[in-house]
Formats: sequence, structure tokens, C-alpha cells
Amino acid sequence: MTAQTTTRRRPLTGSLLVRRVLGHGATYLVLIAAAVLTLGPFLFSVMTAFTSTTQFAQQGPLSIPSPAVLDNFRALFSPTSTSDGFVTPVAVTIQMVTAILVGQMVFSVLAAYAFAQLRFPGRDLLFWVYIATLMVPQVVVVVPLYLMLSEVGLRNTFWALVLPFVLGSPYAIFLLRENFRGIPSELMDAMRIDGAGTLRLLWHLVVPLNRPIIVTLVLITVVTHWNSFMWPMVITSGPTWRVITVATASLQSQYNNNWTLVMAGTTLAMLPLVLLMIVFQKQITNSVGEATLR
Amino acid sequence: MNARRPLLGWLLIAPSLIGVTCFLILPVVLAFVVSLFRWDLLGTRKFLGLDNYISLLSDGALANSLLVTAIFTLISVPVSLAIGLVLATQLVRALPGSAIVRVIVVIPWVCAPLALGVVWKWIFQPSVGALNQILGVRIEWLTDPSLALPAVAFVAIWQNVGYISLFFQAGLTRIPGSIYEAARIDGASSAQQMWFMTIPLLRPTTFFLAVTQVVASFQVFDMVYALTGGGPQHRTEVIASLIYNEAFGASRLGRASAVAVILFLLLVVITVIQQRWFSKRITYDMS
Repeated sequence: MTAQTTTRRRPLTGSLLVRRVLGHGATYLVLIAAAVLTLGPFLFSVMTAFTSTTQFAQQGPLSIPSPAVLDNFRALFSPTSTSDGFVTPVAVTIQMVTAILVGQMVFSVLAAYAFAQLRFPGRDLLFWVYIATLMVPQVVVVVPLYLMLSEVGLRNTFWALVLPFVLGSPYAIFLLRENFRGIPSELMDAMRIDGAGTLRLLWHLVVPLNRPIIVTLVLITVVTHWNSFMWPMVITSGPTWRVITVATASLQSQYNNNWTLVMAGTTLAMLPLVLLMIVFQKQITNSVGEATLR
Repeated sequence: MNARRPLLGWLLIAPSLIGVTCFLILPVVLAFVVSLFRWDLLGTRKFLGLDNYISLLSDGALANSLLVTAIFTLISVPVSLAIGLVLATQLVRALPGSAIVRVIVVIPWVCAPLALGVVWKWIFQPSVGALNQILGVRIEWLTDPSLALPAVAFVAIWQNVGYISLFFQAGLTRIPGSIYEAARIDGASSAQQMWFMTIPLLRPTTFFLAVTQVVASFQVFDMVYALTGGGPQHRTEVIASLIYNEAFGASRLGRASAVAVILFLLLVVITVIQQRWFSKRITYDMS
């Protein structure tokens, strides 16, 4: 490490300039490499999704679609004999995500408010139990959940898709409680004196005051459940309640070599969230702060 | 002041309490119970005691999965943390254009691991895959027993690096610039600043990431399912794949539950160790 002495003595502006450019050059090299390596696979798959089957067969995966065709997407949306279209999966996924999102937000906000602002016997013990359940991963409970929901006759129903998640999430409750604790009690008291009930208090004061964390949680919930795969695959069978990830997986195993069609499927599965991510990039970047070191 | 309203409190908690009890606590208890039975998908069952655990230990399936998961973790976590840190140090310099790159590198993280797995499975295809076409080789990335697990780990790294760099970026911006100025005046090179200042000061972030990434990589499933399904020769059969294959492939729900119980206990141990560490290290103050 002898370089530091030269820096200290402020060398000629010329060599300083070279160092600056070189420094930035290295940075740009890293940034460009990161961007190319990240986007490459997406580019390949989207390109292939717009390539005709014949062109793909003749020219391989690196050819630029000429002409770009919508055949693969059309094939996905025109359910044929086997009814393997993507219309149902898209609709089922949207319904499932919406139901889980609304339920999880409402019930998590209610619980978090109670934990943060009310006193009742058993509160602290219960909250500790909620925190402990954060350690339970999906894969550990998938077999027993399957047995339970099959036992009550809910296998392959819409309820089976949403029920385990719709009643609130310990993670959301934990994050919301942290934020709800900071609400000034004078504000709450003022509203209560004006005769506001708990629901009005929540809707007009607590939720608006905590909009950033709620937006973050909405995004996390949408991403998690749009992408969820294991539980929907296990608990549903056949095309009726197939979600988009399960449809993509079955497309891949069914049309193993029809990669242009499969890539149209993956493009559809990923596109909505990529757009969401681009629109809400600030909130997603900020969410990292919420998740760390509380 | 907290209001003392017992009835309202319980009423507001009720829905989530039902959810937590029925869909998190009860299933964990049930997993313990099912693991003591021979139990198939048709519902026939026979009490076995600890036989599922004994057979898992003796036939090597569990040991294999634990080893595969451990290797996967040991490759993917350190490498993605290291690349994530390097990426973050370049992104926080906030040069023109870096804002776009910051968004681009997080894109894989919001995509379904299942869909990404399918895309990469195609890229890795020996004959029509993009990777072999670019490299001009014909390598069986996902079916060669010695290449499959590194290939799966690579895809996991590729997906997580951008997300990890977000945490490091947040950590880096919390370090006051004045200490670097002081170091420069004292003549510390940028390599020295990185090694003796940045990395130690980022320790809380690094530790948080290491723990959450280890816990997450012990649960990885979707991506492996799409890429290899656990093959070739069980070389990529991570713990979650073993649970799935035992339960829904081989119709052995009891054995699958025994694996689940072991995974759960393992994660509890990791979390408890982490808590011990955290309580010691979290007091690290950088002001």
C-alpha cells in the first residue's frame, strides 16, 4: 500500500484526473456488468416469447425475432382441447392475491392496533406467541395443512388457497405494531372525546398516519402471494383453481421442448411484478430500512 | 396512555389469533404427530413411534439432504453477500446512471423463483440453451451430478444479489462521510478504508443478512423444483425438496413430516443462536 503517500501530497492534476476517470471507469464496469447480467436472462426469455416456433427451431435461442410474432401469447390465451390456457390462472391469481391482501391488511391492522394501543389480559404473552410463529416456515407446515384442509373437504377450492393467509400475518402485525406505538395519544384522545369509535379512529387516524409502512406491507404481500407456488400446487389439482406459477410449471413439464410457448408463460408470470417494482421502486427500496435491525 | 379495554382488545385480536392458532401452531403440532405414523395420501395410517426418524437416519436420505442444503448455503450465502457488498459500494457513489442500475438489479428479486427457475432451466439446456450457445460449448449443466448443485446455487445468487445490495447500500449511507475524510487525511488507501472501516462498520448489516439468508436458503424449494426437481441422483435434493418428494411424490406423509420436524428444530436452533449473538452485537454504535 504505497499509493496513499501520493494521494496525500496532491500529485499533478493530470494524474489525478486519470485516477478519477479510472475510478469511475471501474465503477461503471461493475454497474454495466451487473445490469447486463441481470437483464440478460429476461431479454433472452422475452425475445424467445416473441419468436415463432419455426424460427426458433431453425436459428436457435439467440436469434432476434424477425418478424416478432404474438403466436405464443395467442396460444396461451386460447384454451385448446386440454384447456391449458392462461386465462383461468391469471384470473385465479388475481382473485387469490386480492382476497389475501384485503384480509391480511384488515386483520393485521386490527390486531396491531390492539397490541400497540390497548391493554388487556394476556396481551404480552400472545404477542410473544405471534413473534415465535415467525420462525415457522411454509415448508414445515405444508403437509399438516394439506391434511387439515383435505379433512374438512376444502382441497382444490378457492378457500384452500386463501384461508391459511387471509386472517392476518404475524410479520405484518409485528411491523405495524412497532409503527402504531408511535402515534401521539393526544390525537387519539381528541378523536375519542369527539365520539369516534375504534373503526373510525383506525380508518381516519391510524391508517393515514402510517401510510408508508402500510404501502410497504401491501407490496410485500402482493409479491409474496403472486409468486407463491408450493402451497397452491399441493392443495389444488386440475385447471380450475390453478394459479399462474403452477400453470407455468405445468406448461414447462407438458411442453418440454416448446420453449417459445414456455417463455411466453414465464414472461406473463413475471411481467406484472416487474412493472409494479418499477412503479413503486422508492417504496421497495425504503422497505429495506423497515426490515432491518428493528 | 394505553387504554384498558379487555373485550375490545380480544375482539380485535380474534381473527388473527384464529389464523395463527389454526394455520401455524396447530400444523406444527400436527407435524410432530404425523411424523410418528406411517401415513399415506389416501389417509391410511399406522403408528410407528420413532421408526420414520430411524429410517431417515439409516437410509441416508436425510443426511444427503442436509449435506446438499449445507453446500447450497455455503456457496450461495457468502458469494451473494460478497457480490452484493461490492455492488453496493459502487452504487452508493451515485454516479449518473446508477439510479437505473439500482432498480434493474432488484428486478429478479420480485419475480417468482418458480418462473425464474423455468427461464434458467431453458438457458442451461445443453442443445437449445442460450448459455451453451454463447460459450460455444455443450455442457450438461443441470444433469451432470457435479455441476447441478453449483448451477442451482448460481441462479439463487443471481436472484438475490441486487436485493442484498439494497441492505448494504442502506448500511453504507449510514456511515458518516467525515470518518472517511479523516482516514484519507491520515493517508489510508481505499483498500485499507474498505477492510478496516467499511466492513467492520457494516457488521450489523452483514450479520442480519447472513442470518436471514441462511434461514431462507434452508427453505429454498420453488427454484430447485423448476430447475432440477432434486435430481440428478438426489444431488440437488434440498430439505424442502425431500419433504415434497416424500409427501407428494412417494405418498409417505409420515416420513415427510419427520423431515419437517427436523428442519423446524434446526431453524429454531439457528434462530436462538442468532438471538444470543444479536443481543451481544446489536449495541454496536457508529456515531
